[in-house]
Amino acid sequence: MSEDTFLADDLLRQLISVGEVDLLVGVSSHNPATPIHQAIQVIEQSFQQNFMRQRVVIVLMDGASKDGDGTAIDQNENALPNNGRSPGITSLRTIHRVTANFLTEPLPGVALRTILAVADLLRARACAVVTSSSTNLTTDSLARLLLPAYREKFDYVAPLYRRHKFQGLLIRNLLYPMSRAVFGCPIREIYPSEWGFSASLAAYCLNQNVWHEDSIRTRPEAWMAISAATSDYRCCQAYLGDKGALTGPTPNIVDILRQTVGSLFWCFEKDQDAWLDSDKTASAPTLGPAQELTSEPTDMDRHRIFEMFRSGVTNLEPVLGSILDQETHAEIKSIVELEEGKFRFRPDLWVRTLYDFAASYHHAVINRDHIVQALAPLYRGMTHSFLVEHADSSPAEIEAADEMLCSEFELQKPYLRERWKAKVEVKS
Amino acid sequence: MALRADNLWYKDAVIYQLHVRTFCDSNGDGIGDFQGLTQRLDYLQDLGITAIWLLPFYPSPLRDDGYDIADYTSVHSSYGTLDDFQVFLNEAHKRGIRVVVELVVNHTSDQHPWFKESRSSRDNPKRDWYVWSDTDTKYQGVPIVFVDTETSNWAWDPISKSYYWHRFFSHQPDLNFDNPEVFETVWEVVKFWLNLGVDGFRLDAVAFLVEREGTLCENLPETHGIIKEIRKRVDVAYPGTMLLAEANQWPADVRAYFADGDEFHAAFHFPLMPRMFMGLKLEDRKPIVEILEQTPDIPESCQWFIFLRNHDELTLEMVTEIERDYMYDEYAMDKTMRINRGIRRRLAPLMNNDRRRVELMNGMLMSMPGTPIVYYGDEIGMGDNIYLGDRNGVRTPMQWSSTLNAGFSSADPERLYAPVISNPIYGYQAVNVYAQERSEHSLLSWMRSLIRVRNGFRVFSRGTMQFLTPGNHRVLAYIRRLGEEIVLVVNNLSSSAQAVELDVQEYKGYVPIEMFGRSLFPRFGTAPYLLTLGPYQFYWFQLRRI
Amino acid sequence: MKETIVQGLHQAYSNFVHMIGEFLPHFLVMLIIIAIGFVVALVLKYLLRTLLRLTRLDRVSEEAGASRVLRLAHLPPMSELLSRSLFWVTWFGFILVGLSMLGVASLQEQISRLLRFLPEVFVAILIMFFGVAIANFLSRAALLAAVNAGHASARIVAWAIRFVIWILAITMTLEELGLARQTVISAFSIVFGATMLGLAIAFGLGGQDMARRFLEKYWGDARQERDKEPQPL
Repeated sequence: MSEDTFLADDLLRQLISVGEVDLLVGVSSHNPATPIHQAIQVIEQSFQQNFMRQRVVIVLMDGASKDGDGTAIDQNENALPNNGRSPGITSLRTIHRVTANFLTEPLPGVALRTILAVADLLRARACAVVTSSSTNLTTDSLARLLLPAYREKFDYVAPLYRRHKFQGLLIRNLLYPMSRAVFGCPIREIYPSEWGFSASLAAYCLNQNVWHEDSIRTRPEAWMAISAATSDYRCCQAYLGDKGALTGPTPNIVDILRQTVGSLFWCFEKDQDAWLDSDKTASAPTLGPAQELTSEPTDMDRHRIFEMFRSGVTNLEPVLGSILDQETHAEIKSIVELEEGKFRFRPDLWVRTLYDFAASYHHAVINRDHIVQALAPLYRGMTHSFLVEHADSSPAEIEAADEMLCSEFELQKPYLRERWKAKVEVKS
Repeated sequence: MALRADNLWYKDAVIYQLHVRTFCDSNGDGIGDFQGLTQRLDYLQDLGITAIWLLPFYPSPLRDDGYDIADYTSVHSSYGTLDDFQVFLNEAHKRGIRVVVELVVNHTSDQHPWFKESRSSRDNPKRDWYVWSDTDTKYQGVPIVFVDTETSNWAWDPISKSYYWHRFFSHQPDLNFDNPEVFETVWEVVKFWLNLGVDGFRLDAVAFLVEREGTLCENLPETHGIIKEIRKRVDVAYPGTMLLAEANQWPADVRAYFADGDEFHAAFHFPLMPRMFMGLKLEDRKPIVEILEQTPDIPESCQWFIFLRNHDELTLEMVTEIERDYMYDEYAMDKTMRINRGIRRRLAPLMNNDRRRVELMNGMLMSMPGTPIVYYGDEIGMGDNIYLGDRNGVRTPMQWSSTLNAGFSSADPERLYAPVISNPIYGYQAVNVYAQERSEHSLLSWMRSLIRVRNGFRVFSRGTMQFLTPGNHRVLAYIRRLGEEIVLVVNNLSSSAQAVELDVQEYKGYVPIEMFGRSLFPRFGTAPYLLTLGPYQFYWFQLRRI
Repeated sequence: MKETIVQGLHQAYSNFVHMIGEFLPHFLVMLIIIAIGFVVALVLKYLLRTLLRLTRLDRVSEEAGASRVLRLAHLPPMSELLSRSLFWVTWFGFILVGLSMLGVASLQEQISRLLRFLPEVFVAILIMFFGVAIANFLSRAALLAAVNAGHASARIVAWAIRFVIWILAITMTLEELGLARQTVISAFSIVFGATMLGLAIAFGLGGQDMARRFLEKYWGDARQERDKEPQPL
């Protein structure tokens, strides 16, 4: 396949000036609440404190509108000249910044591809990516992402966070156990907001013919993590500290499911050879303290979550009937009838439901996007069940429950295979 | 070529630093002397240098390579006589070469008659010529210069049962400039040499002349007063004499020694030198640009003296601790190479004998603002001997030929003041003047042409400096300008080929002419000017509007 | 008179026999043509199916997304569809040729009319096919969106969308077939226009406050409610 040209001339010109580097940090998009120059300052401080002698570069994605002289501006007044010095930063070497200019804010996959290409061209030994959901980037956390790849020859460095026990339930109850069971990928945060990787993994990912796929363009993180785990790259997980607030302005659950579960199912499709007839598992040692769970009191509307589940399952009965196995569907219809206080979404049922969804996605029994959307009420059901069941659980109990759920996913993997390979009647 | 009267000669000079002991032995005693040096003046004239800076050649116990002086108005017997010196001076002047000598007046040897008298009793008329104290508690907190050998700035004198102040070795007691007699005596010394015809003095350790309680005993106002007085007298009685300050300080602190053009004519730019080495290793112009941007303007009549190496260690005093660690790790992994917060190696070994890097460093030296100093032997890429004590490893005999003792002396090798370098890489068999004079492509030939080109353009010595800031940090580029004389210098600090786009819009319409081969390059336009450079390559372009 | 009747009967009988005698060969020819056509069509079908499977058309069709559309419409895979279509088209052609051998003038005329009508039938089928598929798709999309947004009347919304698109598709199909064209168009315009006008008047004049409250409630509550859910990632 001939490589299409996607690096702009202007960016190439900047790269000529930079030359070979040891470390690269890509800012694929920044948190709108944090001015970009603050993020850059944190990165530069990390370089100054931890990598004084290394050749370094910061790669910025700029999709903001420009004023007449080409200086990037935005409403937060993030105007930042290239290679301007951040106050208080003294370093042995020039800290480079290159900016990839886009007409509009680039999609995450486009940004990541650009970062990978820059890493490959500049032969960076270790890289890290920071995204818009990085809320707690510090000098230490960045160093913890870069050091394993730079010094210890790890190829993929996933973050681990100190979380509230009710935070990240989509990861805890779906994304992590499912990817672990199917791909043998032990990485918990497969949709990280910041992560590290080596040059060789960057080159490998860059050369895959996936960058035009919608799933990769919108959420490439899981694919990269899974590729690392299934392609025998050395992975690890580095503890970075607190993740952030338990609640807050949350993006739409459906959008998140589309991006995460949708792209995970896409990975199942694309890498069938890696899991359909294989049970290989990878390892990912933890660097730093193990992830911790906190359990401060919370203020969440469980009733509303349950009602969304119940009404969703009821109203989507024809749709769910197309997706789920009859037995699974019947069981779900039966638990919907339960009173809120008695409702529990059993792990085995949850797993079977997800595998039904995955298989239906594979067979495209209905439009695939609709399949993913239909998962939303069921996810809410699982969330409610988890909140109730673990209201008073200790972190250790929750960890144990996690492991049980992971085991359940692994136990039912033959079921997924069976449904995946079966000939399925297309329903309307 | 006789000397022309020029009060600002030091601005245009190319200085050659040498110790007479190391250069050429005429009488076979294993020690270089003035007669031998005189014999080699043609070589220096061919090299293109225009001034010689002589390291101390005065009578001395030689415990600090001559900087411990026992007689200010004579010549050490090993190096010849005053008459020999006079002959050398005259011959140098005939060849258009000026001579700068050392004026080491911060301290004397403890064998100097002045000190012997001073210490003999507390009532001796010369008692107050030195800084004495009954205790060693005065001037607390003043840093020690020779940290590897000294533990205090006070030394106990068992004869007069008191302490004397010494900023350097304990056998080098500091003179007391608070005593007017000391100053007048020093002035007599100055007159002595100027009457012989020397062209200038390097004042050693000038920052330390005066001590005051509650200070670091450096750079005090009284010190400046002393220098100003010397300068005033010299300007009146001996116009055209240059006073050069040896003050290892930050440029902002050295600036004070220029005052309003009524103190020193020149001073060393110490902080630039390690940063040139650092920039080369980092492959990044940042340290060089930063230090030069921090360098203050100096009076029109004054000049910075710049150098790559000298007789001392490559000093790392004027860098941060992180930078010092970096320099040690990159240039002096073997701890034997380190001394006194510095590195005691010559230029060629520091460059791993990479001819390209040696050329690049010399190219930068000759094109940066200031008067360049070439340390003897570096023009042929001499090596060093780190196993000799102190800093003697960079003070080995000059390598003239591949014959006995490198052609330096006819004495038995065991008799030489120091062994010649004889390893396969830098040994005299491989590196010597005789061989290099016979090759058009030797380092020596290249240095000659470099100096020749530099001497042909006053812009290098007197022009302004304007950095260009291309995106490629591995390229150091700057414009030197003096009136209509404009030179663009582009240096590739990297070990790999580089492309660089230079913003030369200001010089639109100028034609760059490469100064060594006189080749024409495309005219500057409004678009960024693309240049490609090989590893460690540099360009000097004369810009002409034609 | 008896002889006339008998003669007449003889004549009718002989005419009939003659007619049968003349018709029967044509009929037999027709049957033979149809039979041959069946065999030919079958052979072509299998040949095409084999060829298409060798060229992996189904895979290309899957990647292009066409197979998905076929599955939605309960149609077989592309290679099977094309080969079956070829079978029917071929056989139908032979049937028409066979029928034309009967020599019935009016039949021939009808056959040519039918042949002229076939493209419109084909387009009408396509319109219905896509109309149904779109109706299903959009109604399901609306259902999912409304359910996930927490609307109580999600099913009604979905049904309404399906109904509207069906009506539109049926109208377009009938128009394409040329059946009661004017009536259908007029009826559709009247009903559709009146519905829209009625909704506009009702909502715009009578339901301003309700509309405002609805929007405020939707945006305000949805935002507030989202804050009470744990962060999924």
